[in-house]
Amino acid sequence: MVATPVRTPAEQALAARYPAERTSLPGTADVIAIRDAAFGGVEKSGLPHRRVEDWKYTDLRARLKTFPPAAGPGDVARVLIAAPAVEGDKARRLVIANGRYRPELSDLEDLEPGLSIFSLATALEAGDATVLAALKLDDAVASNTAVALNTAFMTDGLVIDVAEGAEVGRPVELVHIAEGEPAASTAVRHLVTVGKAARLTLIETIESLDTVAHHSNVMTVLEVGEGAKVDHIRLQLEPDEAVSLTTLVARIGREANFDTFNAALGAGLARAQIFAEFAGRDAQAGFRGITMLSGRRHADTTLSLIHGAENCQSRELYKAVIDDEARSVFAGRIAVPAHAQKTDARMMTASLLLSEEAEADAKPELEIFADDVQCGHGATCGAIDEDLLFYLLSRGIPKVEAESMLILAFLGEAIDEIQNQAVHDALIHRVEGWLKARAA
Amino acid sequence: MLEIKNLHARIGDREILKGLTLTVKPGEVHAIMGPNGAGKSTLSYILAGKEDYEVTEGEVLLNGASILDLEPNERSVAGLFLAFQYPIEIPGVATMTFLKAALNAHRKAKGQDELTTPEFMKLVKGVAEKLNITSDMLKRPVNVGFSGGEKKRAEIMQMALLQPSICILDETDSGLDIDALKVVSEGVNALRAPDRAFVVITHYQRLLDHIVPDIVHVLSDGRIVRTGGPELALDLEKNGYAAYVADAAA
Ligand SMILES: Nc1ncnc2c1ncn2[C@@H]1O[C@H](COP(=O)(O)OP(=O)(O)O)[C@@H](O)[C@H]1O
Ligand SMILES: [Mg+2]
Repeated sequence: MVATPVRTPAEQALAARYPAERTSLPGTADVIAIRDAAFGGVEKSGLPHRRVEDWKYTDLRARLKTFPPAAGPGDVARVLIAAPAVEGDKARRLVIANGRYRPELSDLEDLEPGLSIFSLATALEAGDATVLAALKLDDAVASNTAVALNTAFMTDGLVIDVAEGAEVGRPVELVHIAEGEPAASTAVRHLVTVGKAARLTLIETIESLDTVAHHSNVMTVLEVGEGAKVDHIRLQLEPDEAVSLTTLVARIGREANFDTFNAALGAGLARAQIFAEFAGRDAQAGFRGITMLSGRRHADTTLSLIHGAENCQSRELYKAVIDDEARSVFAGRIAVPAHAQKTDARMMTASLLLSEEAEADAKPELEIFADDVQCGHGATCGAIDEDLLFYLLSRGIPKVEAESMLILAFLGEAIDEIQNQAVHDALIHRVEGWLKARAA
Repeated sequence: MLEIKNLHARIGDREILKGLTLTVKPGEVHAIMGPNGAGKSTLSYILAGKEDYEVTEGEVLLNGASILDLEPNERSVAGLFLAFQYPIEIPGVATMTFLKAALNAHRKAKGQDELTTPEFMKLVKGVAEKLNITSDMLKRPVNVGFSGGEKKRAEIMQMALLQPSICILDETDSGLDIDALKVVSEGVNALRAPDRAFVVITHYQRLLDHIVPDIVHVLSDGRIVRTGGPELALDLEKNGYAAYVADAAA
């Protein structure tokens, strides 16, 4: 006999929401069909729990207490005056408020030649063939619960194209803001295509103006063209009450150069997923991130990289600082198929535990089928080094300040890889804020 | 200035200091010599406040007040400085950031304002120059990539910046060639003052040619077993520690 699991309140809310919303979500009949298929999968399996390998350490079924209703349009005036998360980066800010792209709040002046920016909702309504094609994902990605929920409920997002050879000088910053009470859900999908030999710096910030249990689900599908250079940085900054799911899907073309950085600084429950693939030979990629946790927060970074072409190089570096009873999860899987000779991959994760109750789980995995490769992984976990601390104290530096210096040094190895100075500085500022709050 | 009375200390089950008594007055330079494993570094760590050791008996007074309950940083701002035998490398912490934090902690304790960046830079550069510390070294993370001798010079630079009242130098001569030894000794001698005292821990007499002590002690098996003038160091150089090791074992 197969036991029918009891639906949790979150699952019940989902089951009620989708049928009620499906026809009012943007998109043609084709889009609705894609949404139906995605939701059907979630409906059938329920929310993933700890016996589902990919969600072993982040039991979504147990942790998601509710699934709030879809967000309303929000108070645009409040969004307008919200202080930017990154100052001085001269970025082109594109505002997505409560899951809706707001061109009137966005900087669309003097678009660089070759850069085009459209609303996903408009494209879905128009049944744009290219956009529809871009919604198609590999099964492993499409069936992931966070992705499937995104597909089912996505309201809007940006379709960004950088033409072949175009160098977009100003970073493009996708500013996600949740506004209003009570708690609401948003699902946003971005489709970014960077053409051959083009350049783009793409920044994402995700924040909320209210300390309520908003759920955000932001997914970015990135196509990095042959010989293109793309720098992607995400600052995830929601309040402790929030739930934050993010997904990056990246296809990295031949001879391309790609970096992605995730700063998991917010939300009570956060999961950052990366599905990346080398689609052409001689490419390079860096996957890095930091997580800072306190209280009872839980943050999960799950990376799946298919080193699918010859002579590609990747570096993975994830660092977590965990205080109080918080828990950090890192799961990194690198697959090297038989034809991907000369693969060079080095994955490292390190966790710094600041309290007895803090927890870090690391699950690095390599699946290697090629024989001429250089692959390695390492995971470390420990408290602040007492000898380093003693040295700083012995020079008169008070304990919390000394600890802050050492924590910053620990994270610096990852943060200092961020090329964009303004984002780097903004992040350091956030980290210092976190450390000050801890010291207080 | 510094009074150590009948100090007993252990690490785990092992007693390392076994009733050590020592009094250092302002302006004095004391040398502590002794065989390897005598407890010299242990003494210096306990004075600086390292947690691993348990003081089971005795007391340590700095300017009349007990320091055993003070945190290491509180001892530092109270005027105690330890130049480590093995200065540790701290990757990711910039030397200048570190020096500034240390200096400002000391200034704050004295009720002084923080230095401005130009004032701070000027101060550090002046001190660094005298110790042959290049601006390239100052740009690196704390002690990272420094040679043994560079680390020792960096310790003396920190000492010169923080202007402590009691300086404990743990084998500052080890790993130094003759030129570096001179530079370091000059750095130390320049700091000699009527209101400042030094405890110079060394295994060899060599350093004491340059930093001439007022009083020499022999530390063996956790106790001061002999005290004398500078001539005691010469005697040790000639005859070794054998006599004292035997004494302690007896
Ligand atoms: N962390 C420790 N654990 C156990 N024994 C120690 C530790 N540190 C030092 N000792 C022991 O204490 C004794 C004194 O060591 P130390 O103070 O370093 O001697 P010195 O500096 O005079 O050479 C030695 O026998 C040494 O082995
Ligand atoms: Mg020693």
